[in-house]
Amino acid sequence: MPPVETPVEKWAGKIHEVNLGGDARRLVVGGETTLPFLHFEGAIPHPPAVAVEVQDRPPASWAPELRASWGEAMEDPASWAKKAVEYGADLIVLYLSSAHPDDQNTGPQEAKKTVTRVLSTVDAPLIILGPGIAEKDNEVLVAAAEAAAGRRVALGFCEQKNYRTIIAACMANNHVAVAKTPVEINLAKQLNILICDMGLAPDSILMDPTTGALGYGLEYTYSVMERLRLAGLQGDKMAAMPMFCTVGEEAWRQKEARATEGIPAAWGDIATRALRWEELTAMTLLLAGADVVVLRHPQVVQRIKATIQKLMTKE
Amino acid sequence: MVKVTFLPSLATTAVPVGTLLVDAAAEAGVPLEMPCGGQGRCGRCQVKVEGKVSRRENLHLTPQQIKEGWVLACVARVMGDASVTIPSRREQEKVIIESAASRKAAALRPEWPIHPIVRQIYLELPHPTLEDNASDLERLRRVLTQQEGIADLRVPLPLLQRMATLLRQEEYRVTAILETDTGASARLLDLIPGRKEGPLWACAVDIGTTTIWVYLVNLLNGRLVDQAASFNKQISCGEDVISRIVYSQRGQGLAHLQHLVVETINDLLAELAQRHSLDTAQIYEMVAAGNTIMTHLFLGLPSRNLREEPYVPTATSFPPLVAGEVGLNVNPLAAVHCLPAVAAYVGGDISAGVLSSGLHKKENLTLFLDVGTNGEIVLGNAEWLMTCACSAGPAFEGAGVACGMRATAGAIDDVRVNSLTLEPTIKVMGNVAPRGICGSGMISALAEMLITGVVTKAGRIDVDWVTERMAGRSRARVGDHGPEYVLVWAKDSATGQDILLNQVDIDNLVRTKGAIYAGIRVLAQSIGIDLSQVEEVLIGGAFGQHINIEEAIQIGLLPDLPWEKFKFMGNTSARGAYYALISRQARSKVKEIASKMTYKELIADNTFMNEFTSALFLPHTQLEDFPTVKALLRDHQGTGINA
Repeated sequence: MPPVETPVEKWAGKIHEVNLGGDARRLVVGGETTLPFLHFEGAIPHPPAVAVEVQDRPPASWAPELRASWGEAMEDPASWAKKAVEYGADLIVLYLSSAHPDDQNTGPQEAKKTVTRVLSTVDAPLIILGPGIAEKDNEVLVAAAEAAAGRRVALGFCEQKNYRTIIAACMANNHVAVAKTPVEINLAKQLNILICDMGLAPDSILMDPTTGALGYGLEYTYSVMERLRLAGLQGDKMAAMPMFCTVGEEAWRQKEARATEGIPAAWGDIATRALRWEELTAMTLLLAGADVVVLRHPQVVQRIKATIQKLMTKE
Repeated sequence: MVKVTFLPSLATTAVPVGTLLVDAAAEAGVPLEMPCGGQGRCGRCQVKVEGKVSRRENLHLTPQQIKEGWVLACVARVMGDASVTIPSRREQEKVIIESAASRKAAALRPEWPIHPIVRQIYLELPHPTLEDNASDLERLRRVLTQQEGIADLRVPLPLLQRMATLLRQEEYRVTAILETDTGASARLLDLIPGRKEGPLWACAVDIGTTTIWVYLVNLLNGRLVDQAASFNKQISCGEDVISRIVYSQRGQGLAHLQHLVVETINDLLAELAQRHSLDTAQIYEMVAAGNTIMTHLFLGLPSRNLREEPYVPTATSFPPLVAGEVGLNVNPLAAVHCLPAVAAYVGGDISAGVLSSGLHKKENLTLFLDVGTNGEIVLGNAEWLMTCACSAGPAFEGAGVACGMRATAGAIDDVRVNSLTLEPTIKVMGNVAPRGICGSGMISALAEMLITGVVTKAGRIDVDWVTERMAGRSRARVGDHGPEYVLVWAKDSATGQDILLNQVDIDNLVRTKGAIYAGIRVLAQSIGIDLSQVEEVLIGGAFGQHINIEEAIQIGLLPDLPWEKFKFMGNTSARGAYYALISRQARSKVKEIASKMTYKELIADNTFMNEFTSALFLPHTQLEDFPTVKALLRDHQGTGINA
């Protein structure tokens, strides 16, 4: 058989490099000039980062399998974050879930306290997410932004209907914004434009194109991410933001990761299945171009870290 | 320092080289009006200069005016001693109107041989005698054959019943009104005793989803005598074609819709008849152009199959009809012709539009747009024609918008927002207080609001930002329908209510412009053509003649091509119907055009949805495709949120 020449594409664009973290520990994501793990074609200066999701109060609705894996650490976000770093987390996603009006409806003071405690416990960079209610997000994220000044954290989610306050907080404190859009390439780009129009630099944005879990529209979200990445590599600066995916949340929401009764024997052991579900979802999205994957199970963190390491080896 | 003298006041000032003319004028104590706040956007600060000034190319000035020394004082800089004439308000208006007129539709000139198919023929029949006692009908036929070569004549029963009387009334002198050359035998439409005086009336009708136009024509000389328009009464049963189809499927829905469209036309006919003191029974022909669905509903044809795959109309070419069957208030025997359609969503209005815009004769790649409730797009030249349609919505025609109205007296048709104060300046059609805003006004308002930052690129009215910037009474506020921007305060409006654009209106406008632009993109892509290759853009539709190209580009309705490539054609559908009415050559050309067009079904194409979402942004998600707008927004850096 004659030798086959590897086709090499020369891309005009480059994914923005986003810096996170304080002096003690810095992390850079993005910077690619090629598609995921195609080292023969272009540069991948930074490996995709693995984040662990930490909530500011124990998440009662999490699967027993998950809760057991973290144990008592879940009682306190700072200890939970510390343990996550021990398992290999590159960064921590801190969900201020308690601020939700249907939860404990905590306010900016509590948010400030939590953020300060987590930051003083771990050096790992932080991504702070609000409860997902515009008004509350603005309230607690502004407080969080101030508390985290000097540590360059990421704040989310900015959405088309609510981004101004969060962006202003990012600009005032030199933080990064996480822009979330509903599985659509144009909407993702539009939000990036709106954010940049406010004056935040393109290298201070992570984008969450919204992802689904394995079996729940994963192929669709994969293709949206792939198209965003292709647009970015083709030189579209407003599509060239590193991508952020909430893998754990999606995977552990599905019945394959939760159901223990009334399911076919062929589905096998719940623990194995649930972990695989999260792992496969994460792996797939990394291949679609994810730069940050947010995971829940410590073992999955270790597996994904190991896989990334293998894929980053240039042979 | 250089010396600047202002005429006629002779006020003088000395300013440094590079000073803006407006600043020099203020310095000299003769401040100029600047409704747009001074970025060369509104063209109201035109002055005539002798001396050295820097100029910037501008749509508000014609090449002739530039040659004469006219500049916009807000963007022109003094480069040496100069003498500046400030025109009186009256002169200023004239300059603005002339420059606008040069961009507007060419006047309606029949460019086809006048050769209508309905004719009136004066006949003198030999009196019957015992030697020649052939029947009345035979006698009429004989003379028609001898005199006009018409061998075959169909006579409707009502005329046959009255024939004996009519012929004898004026001693066998009679004027016959005939429909000829339809491919079938000639048909007698009327017999008028004696020699008929006055015009032979006919009408061309454009049945729009939102607006109906009736042109009154004298077939004897082919002249367009008058025109009238109003909203299609079917609007009460749904604003777009799809909701009309849905309505037509309910109980008596179809009959009701047919009744409403005929009633709208009849009302307009009555209006014209009254204006010209004629009896509508004197109107002997109607040529109607409408989209396929409107034509179906006009004729009472079921339209449900137009909505369901594979979108099959009852007919695309329609047989000649008789007015009485349709319920039209013209002569009951009058001939009614509907122009042929291409497909379910590209109708006779577009066949007529291609004819009247001359697209079928172009050598270069040409884009034809008919902007109405449906946006129809034709791309091609003399060799080939591709077409598609997208549902744009009625916003540009004034429907479905809180303060929307048609482009008639009282309509705001031009808006300028001062980029410093965010105060609007409006222009109203006719010399009356404003009642509402028409399509061109909406495009103008949206463009200005975008550039000044009143709305974001995502099309959101930024109430907080505007309120913060507007000391005192803010034009932006949160109302019943969400955020809104007030163009005219209640005290200044004819309605006694604030005239405003609200968030729902803006969302509608953005969807409308988005659908049209997406349609253009998909059609061009489907034949592998980049929009920059288009040599000419012809804009039709009743609405088309009023829009400002610059602003339509700024909101992303039209592709960002050089302005000189755009040409306004006015109401191309009504005009095509008019040409078909007065000329059988034009009529057969429309048929040829309809059969030549290749239809692209957007519903069957998933790229449309993607292009549509991409176009739901101001001006567009791909800002690179709108370089002039990008530059303009950049120029406003620091003044607007959209910098």
